[in-house]
Amino acid sequence: MIKHRALALLKAVSTFKGGISGAFLLLLVIGALFAPWLSPYPYDQQDLGIMNQAPSLTHLFGTDEFGRDVLSRMITGARTSLSVSVTAIGISVLLGLVLGATCGYFGGTFDRIVMTVIDLTWSFPEILIALMLVAIIGPGLEGVVIAIAIAYLAQFTRLTRTQIMSLKSETYVEATISLGAGHAHVLFSHLLPNALAPVLVAAMLATGDAIILEATLGFFGLGAQPPTPSWGAMMSSGTAQLFIAPWVILLPGLAVALTVVFLNLFGDAVIAALDVRAKFREA
Amino acid sequence: MNRRGFLASVSVVTLAAGLGLAGGYSARASEPEAVFALGSAEIGAPHHDPIRATLLSTVATLIYDRLIEQDVDQSYHPHLAESWENSPDGMNWTFKLRQGVRFHDGEPFNAATIAWWIPKFKGSPNEYLVDAVDRVELVDDYTVRFIMKRAEPNLIYNLASSFMGIPSPKAYDAAGDNFGVTEAVGTGPYKLESFAVGQETVLVANEDYSWGSDLSDNKGAPHIKRLTLREIPDASTAFLELKTGGVGLLLGVPDQFLPQLQAEETLDFRSLPGFGITYLAFNTRAEPFGDAAVRQATALAVDQGAILKSVFNGVGLEAHQFLISTLVESKIDPKLEIHHDLAKANELLDKAGWQRGDDGIRVKDGKPLKIKLTAQSETAIKRTAEIVQAQLKAIGMVVEIDIFDSTTVVDQLKKGQHQLAVRQYGWNNADILDWFFSTTNIPYPNSSGWQDEKSQELRNVAMQQSKTLDERVANFRKYQENLIGNFLFVPIHEPVQNYAFNKTLLEVPEKLRGTQLVQATTVDIKVVG
Repeated sequence: MIKHRALALLKAVSTFKGGISGAFLLLLVIGALFAPWLSPYPYDQQDLGIMNQAPSLTHLFGTDEFGRDVLSRMITGARTSLSVSVTAIGISVLLGLVLGATCGYFGGTFDRIVMTVIDLTWSFPEILIALMLVAIIGPGLEGVVIAIAIAYLAQFTRLTRTQIMSLKSETYVEATISLGAGHAHVLFSHLLPNALAPVLVAAMLATGDAIILEATLGFFGLGAQPPTPSWGAMMSSGTAQLFIAPWVILLPGLAVALTVVFLNLFGDAVIAALDVRAKFREA
Repeated sequence: MNRRGFLASVSVVTLAAGLGLAGGYSARASEPEAVFALGSAEIGAPHHDPIRATLLSTVATLIYDRLIEQDVDQSYHPHLAESWENSPDGMNWTFKLRQGVRFHDGEPFNAATIAWWIPKFKGSPNEYLVDAVDRVELVDDYTVRFIMKRAEPNLIYNLASSFMGIPSPKAYDAAGDNFGVTEAVGTGPYKLESFAVGQETVLVANEDYSWGSDLSDNKGAPHIKRLTLREIPDASTAFLELKTGGVGLLLGVPDQFLPQLQAEETLDFRSLPGFGITYLAFNTRAEPFGDAAVRQATALAVDQGAILKSVFNGVGLEAHQFLISTLVESKIDPKLEIHHDLAKANELLDKAGWQRGDDGIRVKDGKPLKIKLTAQSETAIKRTAEIVQAQLKAIGMVVEIDIFDSTTVVDQLKKGQHQLAVRQYGWNNADILDWFFSTTNIPYPNSSGWQDEKSQELRNVAMQQSKTLDERVANFRKYQENLIGNFLFVPIHEPVQNYAFNKTLLEVPEKLRGTQLVQATTVDIKVVG
């Protein structure tokens, strides 16, 4: 199973689409991980003598309204954006797997209650749920992580549940059960490993959406609090000098757009390599 | 009707509507008209009734006249009152009224109007404006005397407030709660045509007007015959409207738009001195700010010059005390003013027992010098917070910024949950000191929680025992000197008021009169062409 996945990943990276997007994402992750060492300047170092300077050799991406280096802030911002969205989607996937698997496998009243609540959250746009939750929890990165995790929970729960339900009626599962295997064995050894692939692909695509959602919340001032940079918050403070220093808003915007595009491309490549769609067809 | 017939009839209707519109437009184009956008602080007034309003916009100053006008240098000038006199003991005021003034409904303005008007404030939110007045006596048809309960030299300031625009008694009593909504009748240069709450007010010139104040060149009917005042909440939208000509004048432009304004050839702007102060507010009941030495060190660490330059693009003034600089009460002992002095700030903290750790952060009794700075999400305030954060780092103070919307900020102040907050006020009278620092106003608006016998005694003298204006000035100086000596606030910036206009549409006088761009200047504005 694991070998098969590793092979699929290799296959995905070897395509043109997968290669380019994979390389970009790898660079981004390295940038985020080693932000303090890679940034040319400390991200919070103000120098009021060089406010709103256009990109130059000393400041490759220019400076913002406090004379801070935009490139350094974007590298640290990548760290914020990635860690928030990956953590949030990670929590969401874990919870979704547990809830979806339990509901799909056992069914009954528990399933009905959980699915009603899940459907209820499903009926609102993610941004609304996230805004509401952040308003309750309060501004700050922890609040944003929890809000995004809950906003995407419905998606993963439903996906897992459907997968488990369709796999449950496969002959090999029925055979395992008739051989006397317990619930735990059937769920963890047979059902979940087979249900995982589409969920992981969905998670990759959702990470892209989560980056946008994080940026949106940051734009509203609900995410990282100053001076911690996030792409969304940088764009938000950049609106005020859109015509004086357009790079402060354009570059982080470009970073968000590129990251999301490449995440989607990479997700596509992985889907093709894993042949998830073909599997759907068989089912 | 078949489909073709339907289409034909629709196009006929459209054509007719188009012609009708065009006809209406050309008929109206012959008389000068203009559109102003209200400033963000005056948006959302539910009505234009000055007596029961808590929020009034420029509109009220155009519909109603006041007895007294206040100029840009805070001096007082006659308008509907031609002259006035305060007795030496301050216990009565005599006003000579202007003759020949009529309300929009044709009713005459005279002493009887005043005798009806003053008691109307009883029970209204603006009662405080006249609560020192015991009763109004009619001396003759055009002379009234206010008999006072106590001496109140500030009455003259109150009379110049836009809440003391005088409505027509007859229309006021007839309209009841609808006054200011469907109908608003005053003696001012403009008559109300229509008012849509939160959207716009349409005014038409009062052609009978001939009693303009000294502050205006034009004493007669205004040049703009039809004036629409729109409420556009978003500053960027309002700015684009100005650029494209949808709006002729903005009654309030955030400082960060000034570079753009200067770059546009068709746009220009005028400025008036400030109407308020941006400052840091301490909560003296939340540690570490209970300690005056920490407050003083914080105050000295703030560099007003740097903030003026970066946040406000060099527009406005550095503030080193709490009152706007045009008020004489602001001229306190210069030694007491708060100026940037990093060395002294560090020395004060050293003495107070806050020792620097290896990471540069100060620690006392095992506790790091870490505080929360509350700020609003509005650009200038947020930026001020970020600079203050960096400046306080230099004295070893770690500052965490909490950004909230303005309602939440006020809520936090009321509950005393803040330690330090970036605040802004708009007021052109020294009694703002009483508002923010009097014991009687704890917990809000006195969110500093300051309780001190000496301060309160000086406040009582300034507020209640001043008999003349000169006495009041001296008393308020002493009161502020006491407050500033206790380091209850950090003055930062005195903004200017900016008014932008489209040069292709309007001709605005070089020099604006009045404390804000209201009636006095509006009647002098001309439409181009």
